[in-house]
Amino acid sequence: MIKYKILIALSFILFNSSYLEAERIVIKNATIYDGIDDSSYNGHILIENGLIKKLSKSSAIQGDIVIDVEGKIVTPGLIAPDTEIGIVEIGALSVTRDDESNIYDVGFSIHSAFNPNSTLIPWNRSNGITSAITLPRNTSSPIGGLGSFFLLDSKMNINSNADMVLIGRLGASGSSSRAETLSLMDDILSFGSSLNKKDIGSDLTIDELIESSSIASYLDLKTRDVKTLFRLFDENLPLIIKSHRASDILNLISLKKKYDLNLIIMGAQEASLVIDDIAKNDVPLIINPINNIPNSFDELASNIKLAQRLEKAGITMMFNVSRDHNYHLIRQGAGVAVANGLSYGSAIKALTSNVAKVFNIENRGSIQVGNYADIVVWEDDPLEPSSMPERVFINGVETDLTTRSTRLRDRYTKDLDKPNTYRN
Amino acid sequence: MKKIYILISIISFNIEATNFEPYESTYKPLPYSNTIFKNANIYDGDGNEFLETDIIIQNGKIIAIGKDLPGANTLTRVDATGKWITPGIIDIHSHMGVYPAPSVKTSSDGNEATSPVTAEVWAEHSIWTQDPQFALALKGGVTTFHVLPGSANLIGGRGVTAKNLQRNTINSMKFPDAPHSLKMACGENPKRVYGNRGQTPSTRMGNIAGYRKSWIKAEGYLSKLDEYEAKSDEAKELSYKPTRDLELETLAGVLRGDILVHNHCYRADEMAMMIDVAKEFDYKITAFHHAVEAYKIADLLAENNICAALWADWWGFKHEAYDMVQANVAIVDQARNGTGCAIVHSDDEIGIQHLNVEASKALSAGIKAGFNISKARAMKWITSNPAKAAGIYKQTGSLKVGKNADVVVWSKNPFSIYALAEKVYIDGALAFDKATGFEPNSDFDIGIINPSKKRIEE
Repeated sequence: MIKYKILIALSFILFNSSYLEAERIVIKNATIYDGIDDSSYNGHILIENGLIKKLSKSSAIQGDIVIDVEGKIVTPGLIAPDTEIGIVEIGALSVTRDDESNIYDVGFSIHSAFNPNSTLIPWNRSNGITSAITLPRNTSSPIGGLGSFFLLDSKMNINSNADMVLIGRLGASGSSSRAETLSLMDDILSFGSSLNKKDIGSDLTIDELIESSSIASYLDLKTRDVKTLFRLFDENLPLIIKSHRASDILNLISLKKKYDLNLIIMGAQEASLVIDDIAKNDVPLIINPINNIPNSFDELASNIKLAQRLEKAGITMMFNVSRDHNYHLIRQGAGVAVANGLSYGSAIKALTSNVAKVFNIENRGSIQVGNYADIVVWEDDPLEPSSMPERVFINGVETDLTTRSTRLRDRYTKDLDKPNTYRN
Repeated sequence: MKKIYILISIISFNIEATNFEPYESTYKPLPYSNTIFKNANIYDGDGNEFLETDIIIQNGKIIAIGKDLPGANTLTRVDATGKWITPGIIDIHSHMGVYPAPSVKTSSDGNEATSPVTAEVWAEHSIWTQDPQFALALKGGVTTFHVLPGSANLIGGRGVTAKNLQRNTINSMKFPDAPHSLKMACGENPKRVYGNRGQTPSTRMGNIAGYRKSWIKAEGYLSKLDEYEAKSDEAKELSYKPTRDLELETLAGVLRGDILVHNHCYRADEMAMMIDVAKEFDYKITAFHHAVEAYKIADLLAENNICAALWADWWGFKHEAYDMVQANVAIVDQARNGTGCAIVHSDDEIGIQHLNVEASKALSAGIKAGFNISKARAMKWITSNPAKAAGIYKQTGSLKVGKNADVVVWSKNPFSIYALAEKVYIDGALAFDKATGFEPNSDFDIGIINPSKKRIEE
């Protein structure tokens, strides 16, 4: 477990050398929400070699570049925990989708499909998202697919944490009973928990294992799937299960206890009905705080007060959105949650440090000395969707906030005497 | 005595008057709350801002707006100091009732996707009046909404405008005297739906041919109707009235100017073509919906007096929605010296609850694009402009003396994410009051999780 984390940290340093040449940047006179404390403080941030080198509340810090932000709000770069960034360009255009597999199940990885040139990256970055977890579409298996963490720095040398989370689902399917899904999940986990290092030593022994396991052969698991199941237990990988109904949430908590899972529940529209169980068993949730629609019979208890209730119960929460592409709208969701009773500090944490903590993303998600300098300077309140980032730093490097969208906007608002094709 | 009273109230709420034409509105407001709002900050929906101003509503109408109005003792007094008042929000693109929650097959009734032209169907005949989404939209300040059929078809059928006052029949929700609309759709959806079945249309040129063929049929039908109606009473007796044709009746209604065309269309080049089709057959397009590329032809839209009903930021879910700019709304609004008609719409059960914030995003993007647009003007995008596009601007959509008292009291400036609708009035009747918990709950919401509770228990 610890070894694994060191490896991740190392890989970031190895793959991201650009900041080594960077100068000492000082962000001066900032109102800092550091992602840890509930309240803000006024201070200065020194960025050096891509890292937050120094934080000062009182005295000014010297630097090569000093940016006086005149009291504007500064937050950690926001981390979106549930996206398709880099693997889907246009939703309804299958040739631009790389989120599905018909062959692999548990161990389907989208990591190598990530496109650092996707237009979704500058778009979400310019809206304050500096990194994201990209998840595949769940395969046919109830535990099906691996997600990866990516920095949204648009570098061809992808800065990532590959295959760091498994996904699954439980709920109404329209074809077979949720009891069947739950049993399948239990069987898969039972098989996975029985694996040991020796078993997965060679592909040959894995093939034998699959053959001797009725569930593995029924699901037609491949070597990759089995290796992934081994990792789930060996590394205690985060496992996100998408589920809404209160009774399903309780069943998932039972599985968590049975297999000692690192369980995260996503959706969880009925969480408030079983809130004590979730709190007692320390299950973090990814919710869409703006979603109060009873969109299925699994989500009848949908309520705009969910985030506030989770906060009261002491449950760790993160936010997602119901539509694709605009993952930055987790800000708007957070704002709606605050309008409906969530504390401001908890909302900022849900957008930043909670994601880093839950998914073992080391040295990100908060403004602390030693962390990577993923920092956003906001025009105004980051929870007001009308307020945009003024500057975005990733690994201490200020990023370009131009997007295809701003290019098109400028093309149709400037230089209008020329035909559009001859404008910029 | 008490018994009699109860009996009367049951009759008045559950039995509809019988002297209405079929499909006509039987809407009745809730009991009036004659009220004076003191010291409010106001966006009137027509582009004006008034600070620390009073409003009086009486018998369902706005009767006075001004500073320090003397209010009669009979009026309920609402201290609106520090609060904001706007007209009731209007959503010009909703599928509430036709795609209700929960989203299940049994009540998914928005697309009659069995033939590319289904002008004969009416969205109001699909609306499930127990949709729990109505009440949620009301809490977001929405007092009026326009429900359209979906976009699977070239011509999808008639839309309907309704008051957001949930009742057991759609007729009792229909906005009195609001015109019908006709839903048309360009682009990917119809060509995908029918192309996948090996049917026409499977291309955009097939789409255009489909509209034109329908309008040719409609012209023929209309001339037969006109011919018959022009006859003297004696001549009418000697001839047959043309047989009714539901499809062509709707299309002829458009050609006569009685039914307003609402056209789902994303791409600029397609909108330009649709304007040609409208010119060829001499009908008017009231609004393009979704219109992600409206900014590319904003002048053309303004010149043709066509509104664009838009999202603040949706994009990328389809190829035709790829060229999104957040200043789209503002560019349309500012076209031809500010004569453009921009609308922020939802097409979404969550978006409809936050149209004020959607407008706020669009405004902020417009200001960043260099336009000088006030909040008071941006308020038009979700009030008077959709009212005009729905053909109900005379009755609602702005706070003007004599208009329906559709009023929202907001806790803060409605362009802030933290603003909540505190009180919502429809026709001068209190329909939602956050402070007292006075709010509608559909039959769906009752006893469904816990038999003794409402679905949402605060």
